[in-house]
Amino acid sequence: MILAIDSAIGTAVAVVDARGTVLAECSSADTRGHAEAVGRLIVEALAAAGTSADRVGAVAVGMGPGPFTGLRVGIAAARVFALARAVPLLPVRSHDAVALAAGGGPLVVTSDARRREHYWTAYSGLDADGLPAVAAGPGLSRLDELDDELGALAGLPRLAAEAVPAADLGRIAARRLAAGLASPPLEALYLRSPDVTPSSGPKRVTA
Amino acid sequence: MSAPRASAIPAEPVVIRDATTDDLAAIMAIEHASFPTDAWSESTMGAELADPNGRYVVAVVARHGGDRVVGYAGLRAPRGAEQGDVQTIAVHAEHRGGGIGRTLLGTLLTEAAARGVGEVLLEVRADNPVARALYAAHGFTEIAVRPRYYQPDGVDAVVMRAAAPFERVGAPIVLGIETSCDETGIGIVRGRELLANVIASSMDEHARYGGVVPEVAARAHLEALTPALERAVAEAGIRLDDIDAVAVTNGPGLAGALMVGVGAAKALAIALDRPLYAVNHLVGHVGADVLSEEGALEMPTVALLVSGGHTSLLLVRDLIDDVELLGETIDDAAGEAFDKVARLLGLPYPGGPWIDRAAADGDPTAIRFPRGLTAPKDRERHRWDFSFSGLKTAVARRVEQDADAGREIPVADIAAGFREAVVDVLTAKAVDACLELGVPRLLLGGGVVANARLREVAAQRCAAAGIALRIPPLSLCTDNGAMIAALGAQLVAAGRVPSGLDFGADSTLPVTVVQTL
Repeated sequence: MILAIDSAIGTAVAVVDARGTVLAECSSADTRGHAEAVGRLIVEALAAAGTSADRVGAVAVGMGPGPFTGLRVGIAAARVFALARAVPLLPVRSHDAVALAAGGGPLVVTSDARRREHYWTAYSGLDADGLPAVAAGPGLSRLDELDDELGALAGLPRLAAEAVPAADLGRIAARRLAAGLASPPLEALYLRSPDVTPSSGPKRVTA
Repeated sequence: MSAPRASAIPAEPVVIRDATTDDLAAIMAIEHASFPTDAWSESTMGAELADPNGRYVVAVVARHGGDRVVGYAGLRAPRGAEQGDVQTIAVHAEHRGGGIGRTLLGTLLTEAAARGVGEVLLEVRADNPVARALYAAHGFTEIAVRPRYYQPDGVDAVVMRAAAPFERVGAPIVLGIETSCDETGIGIVRGRELLANVIASSMDEHARYGGVVPEVAARAHLEALTPALERAVAEAGIRLDDIDAVAVTNGPGLAGALMVGVGAAKALAIALDRPLYAVNHLVGHVGADVLSEEGALEMPTVALLVSGGHTSLLLVRDLIDDVELLGETIDDAAGEAFDKVARLLGLPYPGGPWIDRAAADGDPTAIRFPRGLTAPKDRERHRWDFSFSGLKTAVARRVEQDADAGREIPVADIAAGFREAVVDVLTAKAVDACLELGVPRLLLGGGVVANARLREVAAQRCAAAGIALRIPPLSLCTDNGAMIAALGAQLVAAGRVPSGLDFGADSTLPVTVVQTL
C-alpha cells in the first residue's frame, strides 16, 4: 500500500496498492491552506481506502515544482510519515503525475509559479515501464517566453495543470517499484532562489 | 508502556470545564443512561456539584450558542486531607472510546495533586473491565473487593488505589517540534524529565543578510527536520513508537517556517496514531521551566521573554490555563536591535555576542542612550511595553556624526552604552511589574538571556527587590523543541483533549491561546 502526498498546487493525498490500483483519493484545491488540510486529507484517504497508517508500505511524495511555502508542507509530512513508519520514501516530480493522468504525452505541463511566471516540464510520452519520459525541464519561465525556452519542443500541446493528481503520483511510484527502479533522489524543486539580496549596508538616518 | 494513550483524534473538539448547577439536567440524563439500576438522585448529584470539598468537571462539545455535556467526573478531596476519592466518571454512550474518560480521570488526578492528598481511592464495578483497565493504566492497583456492593444487581465492587505523586503516574513521553524561526528544534520529555533536546540552526545562512530571512529559514527547516527527529530519538534512547503524544508550535512566528513543523507534526501523529497538541511558542518558553531540576515553578509568576523575534512581558497565573500579556515591543525585538546595532558598528551577525565582546572594553556611562517608553507620558499607554527603534536610531546618529566629523567611532563605548540601555529598560520594567502586581517571582526566557549583562542586572535588581529569579539553562532559553514537548506534557497530564487536525500556522497567535484546538 502506497500513501501519496502532494502539495505543489493544492493539497492531494491518495492511497494506491502495489499494482497501482487507486484505493482512495482526497484533495483540497485551496492553494494556501496546505498546513491546515494535509492531516485531515491523510486520515480521510486512509479511511476511504479501508486501511490504516500501520499498513502503509511506502510513501510517494510530489517534490514540485511548486511555490515554496505550500510545497514544503507535503514534503515535510511525507518525510516524517515515512520515517515514523520506517518505510521507503519515493520522491516523484509533481508534473510527472499530471502528465501520466493525461496519458503521458507528448506534451508540456505548466503550472502557476506566481509573479507572472510558470513552471514547465516537457514530456515525450510513456517509456517502456509506463512512466512519463521527460524531454526537457523542469524549468521556470514567463508564458510569453516559453516558446523560446522549449525550442524544438515548442509545438507540443500544452496542459496548464490546475491540480496534481496524487493517485497518479502513487501510480508512478508503484510502477517504479514494480519495474525495480529506484526513485530519483529529488530535492524540493523550488526553481527559485530565496527572494533576498545581501544587505548593502545600513541606511543613513541623518541628512 | 508508560502512559495511557489517547489513540482517537476526536472528530469534534471536546473541552473539559468545571461543572455548574446549570449542568445538572444534562449530567442526570447521562447518569440515568449509564447507571440504569443504581443512579444517584438529582438532589444527591446537585449537592455533590456544590460541595467545595470536591471538584466536578464536565466534558463538553462546543455548539453554536453554548456547549453540550458529553461526560462528567467528580473528585472528593477536602484540602489537607490525606485521602481523596474518585466519586464518579461517566461518558455518554455515543462518545465512548475517544479518550474522554481518560481525559476526565487525568483532570481529577491533577486536581488531587493540587489539593495535596496522598492517595486517591475509588470503587469500580467488577463487571466493568474497560473502567478497571483505564484506572490500572493510571497507576491504580486493586486493593480490596466489597462483595455484592452494587445493588440491586449484586455485583462486587473492586476498590482501587493510586498514591501521590500522581503526575508521576505514567508520565507521558511527548515529542515537541519547534520551527517558528531559524532553529529546527526536536525535544523529547517524559513528564518533567528532559530526554532529548536537538537543535539545528540555520543562523550561519542568515549571517550574510544581517538577519533571519524567512524563506531561507523555512528551506532549512525542511532539510533539518527528519535528521533532527532521528537524532532526538537516538539521544532519548527510545523508539518513535514509545512516544505518547506529539506537540508542535503553531505560532507565533514566521508563517512559512511554522507550516513545516505543523505539516510534519500532523503526519507524525497520524503515522504513530498518537494525540497531537498545537501549542503557543511564547508559553513554551515559560514551559521550559517545568524541566528545571529546582522543582516546579511557583505561580503566579512574571515572565520576560526576549529574543530576536519577541520582547514580551507576561503574567502567568497558570501555565496551561491563564497567561496574560502585560506588554511587548511596539517595534523591534530586543535581539533584533542587537543585530541592527552590530551592523551599524561593523560587527558580525548575530549581534548579541559581538556587542557583548565589544562592550567589555567600553564604559557604559560614557554615552547615555535613550530608554524607550520610560518617560512619564508613556506610562499610561505603554506601561509594560518596550521600544528599541529609537535607541537604534540614536546609535545610528551617533555613528554618522562621528564618521562625518572624521572622528574614530568609539565602538566599545557605544556597544556598552547601547547594551546598558537595553538591559536597563528590560529589567526595570520586569521588576516594576513584579512589584506592582505583587508577584515576587520573575522568569527569564528567550535567546537574549544568553547575554551575561542581562542576567547580571536582573539578578541584582531582583535580589534588591526581594524577587525570586528563575533562568532556565541556556539550551532551554533559545528556541527549542524540549520546551514545546514540556508544555505538551503538561497539557497531557492535565487531561486536556488533543488538538484537532485542522489547525494551521498562526504567525500572530496571541499568548492567551496556550493550546489551539
